[in-house]
Amino acid sequence: MSASERASADAAVVFNEVSKFYGDVLGVNRVTLNIPPGITSLVGPNGSGKTTLMNLMTGLIHPDHGSILMRGISPRDPEALMRITGYATQYDTAPRWATGFTFITTGLLLFGYSRTAAEEKAWKALERVSLTDAANRKVAGYSKGMRQRVRLAQAIAHDPEVLVLDEPLNGLDPLVRAETIALFRLWANEGKHVILSSHVLQEVDLISDQVVLIANGMIIAEGSIRTVREEIEEHPSQYLVRCHDASGVASLLFSEDHVTEIRLNSDRMGLLVMTTDREQFARALGRIALNGHRIEGVVPADENVDAVYEYLIGGE
Amino acid sequence: MSVYKRGYQRYSGQLTTPWARFLVLPRYAWRRLYQQRLVLLLTMLAFVWPLVCAAFIYLTNHAELLQGLDPEFRQFIQVDGRFFSIFMYVQAGFAVFIAALAGPGLIAPDLANNALPLYFSRPLTRWTYALARLTVLVGMLSVVTWMPGLILFAFQVGLAGGSWFRANWTLGVGMISGFLVWLLILSLVAMASSAYVKWRVVAAAVSLAFFFILSGVGEMIDQVLRVTWGHIIDPAWAVNQVWCALLGVEAPEGPGAAASAVALAAMILLLVLVIERKLRPVEIVS
Repeated sequence: MSASERASADAAVVFNEVSKFYGDVLGVNRVTLNIPPGITSLVGPNGSGKTTLMNLMTGLIHPDHGSILMRGISPRDPEALMRITGYATQYDTAPRWATGFTFITTGLLLFGYSRTAAEEKAWKALERVSLTDAANRKVAGYSKGMRQRVRLAQAIAHDPEVLVLDEPLNGLDPLVRAETIALFRLWANEGKHVILSSHVLQEVDLISDQVVLIANGMIIAEGSIRTVREEIEEHPSQYLVRCHDASGVASLLFSEDHVTEIRLNSDRMGLLVMTTDREQFARALGRIALNGHRIEGVVPADENVDAVYEYLIGGE
Repeated sequence: MSVYKRGYQRYSGQLTTPWARFLVLPRYAWRRLYQQRLVLLLTMLAFVWPLVCAAFIYLTNHAELLQGLDPEFRQFIQVDGRFFSIFMYVQAGFAVFIAALAGPGLIAPDLANNALPLYFSRPLTRWTYALARLTVLVGMLSVVTWMPGLILFAFQVGLAGGSWFRANWTLGVGMISGFLVWLLILSLVAMASSAYVKWRVVAAAVSLAFFFILSGVGEMIDQVLRVTWGHIIDPAWAVNQVWCALLGVEAPEGPGAAASAVALAAMILLLVLVIERKLRPVEIVS
């Protein structure tokens, strides 16, 4: 491994041929991933292996085969790993007798911070998730959204480089949800890893730099949503074209071999085009525009996680 | 892909020592356990017998106070192995009940709330977690067992002088090590029942039943098979055999101290395996 490769591996989350079985039940199978910093969403149906991947990353379980490196650190070394990793599980794990502040502070004491430093960091974490008002209330009295936030606060309190968050946006109200997403973006921009799982595909679309699609314990696709979409050749790409002369543009596009289907909008001001070749479609639109047809906008209609999920996993 | 510029700096400040970190868990657990009235009451009651024993030691070391007593009786009341064994039996009984009260709350809530991933998402291994929970119980039980025992021993040394210590130091060592074996067994049983039974009351009952049932089964084996080795599966009986050997006291009929020690070691190993099997951060489907 060259120095630059090593440096890149040290800054990435790397899965190399990782398999995990729970007895006879498959957890994940031959997973090879190289996740760069940024926001990465794990997307897949229930029981697809998302949580198993997260548990593997955080060393809570170990692979039966293959190896994992979290920014150059093996998950078999919890002492080193958990200093750079924060994990929020999907369960309500905070002890109900503790206040939010005590809960976070205790966790930080386990990391080895002095009491003063721990209290300072705990307060900062609670501030980041807008929970300072309820900091001294018992977790037992928290609402679902507040418990979600305190769970997030404990994961970020020690300022980790890799954040692994299982369904972190569940139960949050729209305002806090927006604030949390902004927080994810801030961390990602600092060069940290934010790895999360979510069932809300629109949300994943909105926040992710890249997605990992997983089904039946196997990685179906990984990369930016656009890259993944481009690789799905069996499904024609869909584009929404806004133009004044929709019928005229449609008749011109129909003469192109790569166009498989066109649907006119009811307002006759736009059409949905399905094409098997994006580049040829772009060239064809250019020619049409040069011929005097006014085209106001072209938007990909299925370059989102929803569509990618439907194409790759939806049929299973 | 966004452009990432690493502006993040890892924490480079001082950390507390591994021991300080380890003690975070027991410290919180002790605070919560001593907030339970019953635990506190039982702990306080457990100091009555050591006080009686201290009074006894004082009396035996002040011959002038025993002037009016029968010389044979005066000969009988001595601070020796038998005295310490009686002290140990009583305190061991208190320890059983305190362990049954305090133990179930240690692991069961963590398992019920799926909190183990939370613990292990810290620089903490499974074994450190288990050791921390063990420390909670051993610490609590030490307060009512070998610690007052050591104070009594020191009190006796203080009153009887160096010659008594030179002749009887093995009693002190025997008492402490005997207690530690018992505390280990009690703590592991309480932890195992806490790891398997989520309901506290039932876990406490299981913890107590472990001793009564094994004692009953041991007795049954002896009676049915007309043997004397059946009791070896009774941890209390086996520990007593070991204590008798350590304190130089006559032991009841049956397998000797060595065989009892082996049986206790096997029990400890079995309990550790039982706990190890249950203390997993992630439910394993088989």
